[in-house]
Amino acid sequence: MPRLVGLVWLSCAVVAACGSTASERPRLTFSGSAVGAEGTLLRTQLARFSQRHPGIDVDIRITPDAADQRHQLYVQWLNARMVTPDVLQLDIVWTAEFAAAGWVQPLKEESVDANDFFPAAIAADRWRGVLYAVPWFVDVGLLYRRVDLFDRPPASLEALHGDALAAVQRGQAANGLVWQGARYEGLITVFLEYLTACGGRILDERGEVAVDSAAAVRALTLMRDGIGTFVPRSVVTSQEEQVRFSFQNGQSAFMRNWPYAWTLLQDERQSSVAGRVGVSFMPAASGGRPAAALGGGQLAINKFSRHPALALSLVEFLTDRDQMLERARVASQLPSRRSLYDGDELARAMSLPIGDLRAAIESAVARPVTPVYSEVSQLLQVHLHRALTRQEEPREALTEAAREMRALFARTGLSGQDAP
Amino acid sequence: MTTTSTSPHDSRLALLLVTPALVVIAGIALVPIAATVWEALHQHDLRLPWLGRPFIGAGNFIEALGDARFREAVAHTVAFSAISVPLELSLGLALAVLMHTVRRGRGLVRVAALLPWAIPTVVAALVWRLMFENVATAMRVDWFSDPLTAWIPIVVADVWKTTPFVAVLLLAGLQTIDPEVYDSARLDGASPMRQFLTITIPLLAPSLVVAAAFRTLDALRIFDVPYVMTAGGPGTATEPLSMYAFAALMERLRFGYGSALSITLFALTFVVALASVRALSRATPVEPS
Repeated sequence: MPRLVGLVWLSCAVVAACGSTASERPRLTFSGSAVGAEGTLLRTQLARFSQRHPGIDVDIRITPDAADQRHQLYVQWLNARMVTPDVLQLDIVWTAEFAAAGWVQPLKEESVDANDFFPAAIAADRWRGVLYAVPWFVDVGLLYRRVDLFDRPPASLEALHGDALAAVQRGQAANGLVWQGARYEGLITVFLEYLTACGGRILDERGEVAVDSAAAVRALTLMRDGIGTFVPRSVVTSQEEQVRFSFQNGQSAFMRNWPYAWTLLQDERQSSVAGRVGVSFMPAASGGRPAAALGGGQLAINKFSRHPALALSLVEFLTDRDQMLERARVASQLPSRRSLYDGDELARAMSLPIGDLRAAIESAVARPVTPVYSEVSQLLQVHLHRALTRQEEPREALTEAAREMRALFARTGLSGQDAP
Repeated sequence: MTTTSTSPHDSRLALLLVTPALVVIAGIALVPIAATVWEALHQHDLRLPWLGRPFIGAGNFIEALGDARFREAVAHTVAFSAISVPLELSLGLALAVLMHTVRRGRGLVRVAALLPWAIPTVVAALVWRLMFENVATAMRVDWFSDPLTAWIPIVVADVWKTTPFVAVLLLAGLQTIDPEVYDSARLDGASPMRQFLTITIPLLAPSLVVAAAFRTLDALRIFDVPYVMTAGGPGTATEPLSMYAFAALMERLRFGYGSALSITLFALTFVVALASVRALSRATPVEPS
């Protein structure tokens, strides 16, 4: 028995000793996408950071790559006030939620050179006028087209639909246009592009719900009426990859998708349309403006981090020009700093058509910045999908979605002026 | 007489001996249920910490009653069970009789019949989804974009997957029936149909009730098949209650409201479980003494 007690004491001492050495030497923990080429790149850059800050190691906390699952983990950790991870990769639509909950640190605009970022990207990282995250890379909705069928991008949304219908009628492609119409976040980004093209908004400039406007009904009607004529019926179950397959097999004349598809479409081993692809972005209908939905990754600092100053230097490092350029070259992720698009450095680093992409990002429109975005998105997804599958008329669907959104804002104590 | 009387010491010892088991049962069954009930009585939204976690009594349940998506989810769950369970029972009975009567290649028939049961549900659902998607391109019917036809692949996959389970349960029941009963029935000139209706079905009743109970309880909790095949769509036309509770809990992180939905599902299955225990005691013939 005394031996056992001794053993217990000994192990306590060992644990205590390990604990104290760990606290002498600060370790940062980073959580974000760390699979494939992105993971290799991240490890390289974190090692470089450690070289510049001798004695500081950065651990990677692996989290699921599926956005919903990562979000769920973050919320659980931060609710429990966990001190790690120190630096978090946030999706662009989470920043307001985490800021309002008091889970991420406010940042100084000048310390991250905020003026250099694309305005739509940095605006999505502010909550009540304060910056809470830094755009790490951007993603943007593009309109791909077959240049052998249409050498110029359509001048208007009406022209796009006319071209798509003509391509089907002339037998040039089975489908005129494909987009992401399954009930998930991707559907919101497509709707946002149609909505902006028609001159509508989800929340207006005062933050009031505006998704039941006449422009919104017109946008949703345009989306729905294409289905079954030049948009295939299967679009209501399609996500990014299904529409990419349709387009790269030569079955579709136009496709709405993200920049990642470009490299794959140019790969002759899998794509039958390599060399015959052009990109632009969703053109305006009458009364609206051309629009590309904005996505991307942001970096923020855990409010409960024990090393906020170090965490900030890691964020500054990962979002500096050199690391962004390397990220563009290795992982094909688009830099969020505007100045990188000025020279030809970026064009040399990526095979993507940088000029077209820059034009799209300059026209980018962000999703509503509100702490309850995920709920706004979910209820809108349901009604959009019902309208696309003809269970509800567009006007009815959007009226109902708006009613539910207003009830949500009332229930959560968020008023109109809380939105940007 | 001495064997039935227990001293206070014995009963204390007995209590001591069963305590660990009771603690484990309470820990893994009662405590989580009680915690969920308690959570369901609070407004608790993980994403809105500034609202706190106030006690709101039946507020979440009242909200559910006014929530069209919840009412539809209950209707979907009940309708799915009402359609799929009778299909599974009748096909399972046919399969059991086939397995029972076949003489040659008995092992092979049983393995073939059981195979769907051995495949993980998520895999089976995915395969069925791909098949229906391909049928769609061939037939120009898009099963998953219509609120009614989207149910067909779900029911087909679930029936295909769980019929073997019913068949095995019923086969065990068939094997307990004394063959001599059939011999005397044949001597009396009863037709095979008559034998089936007046011998097989009544003697198989306990097994049928057990199979129906298991399948109904499973069907009420259906999650994986629609999750993989339709994700509850189009819109929310194929969303059962368990998926809506999951969405409220894990996607919207509304722990209070999601717990209330889970409790509703629990209450629904509990009522069915009680009813089936009753039905079973009525179906079980009294043992001849």
